[in-house]
Order: sequence, then structure tokens, then C-alpha cells
Amino acid sequence: MQLKPRVPLTQQAPARRRLMAASCALLSAGAARSEQTAPVDSGLLEDWSVDSALAYYHEEGRIQAIEPVVDVAKVFADGQALNFNVTFDALSGASPNGALPSRNPQTFSSPSGKLKHQYTTAPGQLPVDPDYEDDRIAVSGNWTVPFTRLDQVTVGAKLSAEDDFFSVTVNASIAHDFNEKNTTLSFGIDNEYDSIHPIGGAPVPGSDYAPAEKQTGGKTKDGTGLLLGVTQVMTRNWLSEFNVSVDRFTGYLNDPYKFISIINGAGGTTGYEYESRPDQRTRKSAYWENRVAWSSRISTASSLRYMTDDWGVRSDTAQLHLRWSLSNRDRYIEPTVRWYRQAAADFFTPFVLTTQKPTDESSDSRLAAFHAMTYGVKYAQKLPGLGSRPESEVSIRAEYYQQTLDVRTAVPQALQGLDLYPGVKAVLVQIGWRF
Amino acid sequence: MMGRFSLALAMLALAAVAGCSSLGVKPWQRDVLAREDMQLDSDPLDAAIDDHLYFSKEASSGGRSFAGGGCGCN
Repeated sequence: MQLKPRVPLTQQAPARRRLMAASCALLSAGAARSEQTAPVDSGLLEDWSVDSALAYYHEEGRIQAIEPVVDVAKVFADGQALNFNVTFDALSGASPNGALPSRNPQTFSSPSGKLKHQYTTAPGQLPVDPDYEDDRIAVSGNWTVPFTRLDQVTVGAKLSAEDDFFSVTVNASIAHDFNEKNTTLSFGIDNEYDSIHPIGGAPVPGSDYAPAEKQTGGKTKDGTGLLLGVTQVMTRNWLSEFNVSVDRFTGYLNDPYKFISIINGAGGTTGYEYESRPDQRTRKSAYWENRVAWSSRISTASSLRYMTDDWGVRSDTAQLHLRWSLSNRDRYIEPTVRWYRQAAADFFTPFVLTTQKPTDESSDSRLAAFHAMTYGVKYAQKLPGLGSRPESEVSIRAEYYQQTLDVRTAVPQALQGLDLYPGVKAVLVQIGWRF
Repeated sequence: MMGRFSLALAMLALAAVAGCSSLGVKPWQRDVLAREDMQLDSDPLDAAIDDHLYFSKEASSGGRSFAGGGCGCN
């Protein structure tokens, strides 16, 4: 039992909010969050709430992507909840191939190996495959069933397909409320099965790039994740969530399209070899989020995350959203800032010397030491609902993401002065429509 | 660095076992908590799109939910 909030619950698209709790964060289901009443189940399509977005992502000098997403959800009168999500990604542009800039032109072949796909990188430029292209479609569904007044189970599945990649994930979680529903304990498990079919074949890890010693057949990797969390109502204006999670992946964990420059003592590139990562990885993370309503108009969502893995990567993340509601909560502005830093994987190296032959090696900048900032802002406007729906919402948001590498590896004198680690600058623009 | 993760685990256990009983509100005090902006998943699509971006650009993922991405981009 609870008092009605200032805005009647029936005008807050409760089905959407309740179902997103089931679908997007396994720990999210629980009464430590506010309770919502289920809508009247008329059996009509109008009972489904729809959340949709169209995002455009552009990296300076690199790839661009268009990503439409549709999520439909429904809460039934008995408390059961269903949601389905379809996401499509269309990527194109230039993707770094892992090689280091050089004082001389460098010529590479695209993964297909066709002559027409050869490309040459100018001196001093970061080598990128200019013909990168991929499409991804992902569908997922979740079903939440309350089986007592204080307990509920959520099960879900996700399929994701790309030109060279197929993934199946299943998940299940259980949530228990206690302490007058001020506390929710949750436990979840997921299993992911990935099938990888690199274009042109999967290279032998650590093999020479020139002979292109490819392996035949597909590769696989599997992962299992466990997530344990508590959601706690702290005060009338403060909600807190704390999660710890562990996941372990085994199998083919390489990026089949990434290779490493082999450098001689004079700084000249003598060749390339494919990266070679360990075939297992265990990650652990701790996540703490706080939602605080500072006034009837202003609230913040802040989070901290720490992650470590047995590859030597450690990272810290801090994020803050500030929502400023206007016009009797009919619209809001939400600025966002995010700070991230990570330490490099033990086997990260921007290049290998001709005298070296490491067991594990990767020049993938995503495994390098770097820090990144994100700045964003969102504007949303409530509108009259469609059909029998009480309201709808349109929104637009923009983000700027900048990644700065902190690689400290000493380089031969001939390479000094080149921009070896240019980092990433990207813009995201997204429009959204809920009804 | 295991120490920090162990500390986090200890905080979770402490919060669940000891601290929670003295925290919280009565059922009639949930008006602010019922606001849309006070839901932990108030913008699920924004979060999903951001998570996908970060998953493809960084070595970390998850925390709020599972870390797997179902994506060949990393």
C-alpha cells in the first residue's frame, strides 16, 4: 500500500517502467523500488507500452553507426510481465587494424583477401581498414512471474546475429523483498554462447600476417555470469543499489581482424603478426548507484563501478545524471557526465620488437591504458497519449565521448613525433519516442 | 586489487544483513520514490545504447547488469 505520487501512476506509463525493471537490469525487479499498479488488462494491443529510439553514432575519421531500437512491454493484471526488444545496428567506416603508424606507407589486405580490398595507409597515419562494414540484429525477451507477495522470478533470452558472429544468451533471476519492501535482494545468472565465423577464416593466434595462416571452421566462446545485489530504500528521497558480479568467458577471445606491427631497433616495420589473447577471462565488478530527489524538480542518479579481471585490466567508472524537471514535470533537461579510466591488460603491447616473441600479445587499444570522458544532455517533452494511452514522451539527446590513451611504452627514436595513439572522439545523437 | 572487490562484497553482505532494518520508509511515504526519475531503470534504452557504445570501446562492461554483450564488436 502506498500513497499516490504527485503525478498519478496511471499517467506514468507504469507498464513500461515496471517491465523495464524486468528486462534491463536483473536486479531491478523489487519493491525497494516503488510499487506500481498493473494496468487494466483489456487484452487489446493498446495495453502494450512502446519505447523506441533511433541513435546515430559517429567517430571522427572512423566508423559510423545507425541503431534503431524498439521495446514493447506489458504488465498483466496478475503481476506477470512480458517485454520484447528488437535492436538493429548498421555499421560502416574505418576500423583500426592494430598496426602502428609508420614513417613509410603500409599496405594491407581487407579480411576477404581480395586485391580490390587492399588499402594503403599514408606515413604517420594510424592504419585503419577503410572498408569495415557490419550489420547486427538482436532480439530479446523477458518474462517476470511473481510467485509470492515478496518473490518474483525473471527468465529471458537474447539472440544476436552479425555477418560473422552469432550469439545466444539465456538468463534467470530471483528477487526477494523484505523489511517492509524497503530491501530487495536479487540473484541472477546468465549464460552466453557465441559462434564466430571471421571473414576469410580465423587466423592462428600469433601467426605471421603475410602468409595469413588461417584456421578453417568457426570458433566459439562461452561465458557465465553471476550477479548478486541489494536495492535499498534509504530515505523518502533516496534509493540505493549495490551489485557485485562475476563472469567468466572461455574459448576464442581474440579479435580475428587485429594484428600487431613488428618493429626493428631502428623503428622500421618489418612485418605484422596476429594478436594472441588468453583463451579464458574472469571479470569481477562492484557497482553502486544512488538516486536522490533533491527537490520536486531536481534529482540525480550517480554511480560508481570498479572492475578487475585476470588479464590485468582494472577500471574505475563514475557517472552522474542530473534531471531538472520543468513545467509541472511535463518536460525535463538531463545533463550527464561520465569519467572512466582503465589500466592495460598484462599482454597489451603497441608493437613487438623483432627480438621478442611473447606468448600473449594484443595491440587492441581497448586493452590499453586510457581514460575517457563523456558529456551529454537530454531533453524530453511529455505529450498527449495515443489512443487510450494517458501520455507519450519524445526526447532527443546528444553525447560526446573522448578517449585518451595513456600508453607509456618507449618507442624507437624514428617513431617519436608520430601520433601513435590518437584515441577516439565520437558523437552520439539519439531521438526517442515512448507511448 | 582483490582487496577492493572483497571490500565491495563485504559491504553488500553488511547492507543486506545488518543495516537495512533501520533504513527505509513506511508504505505511505513512497510518493517521491514513485516518481519516474527515481526508478533505477528510468531510461532503459538510453542505458542500453550507452552500454553498447562502451562495450565496443572499453575493456569493462556490466555492473548494473550482466557484462556479456552478445556482440562481436569486442
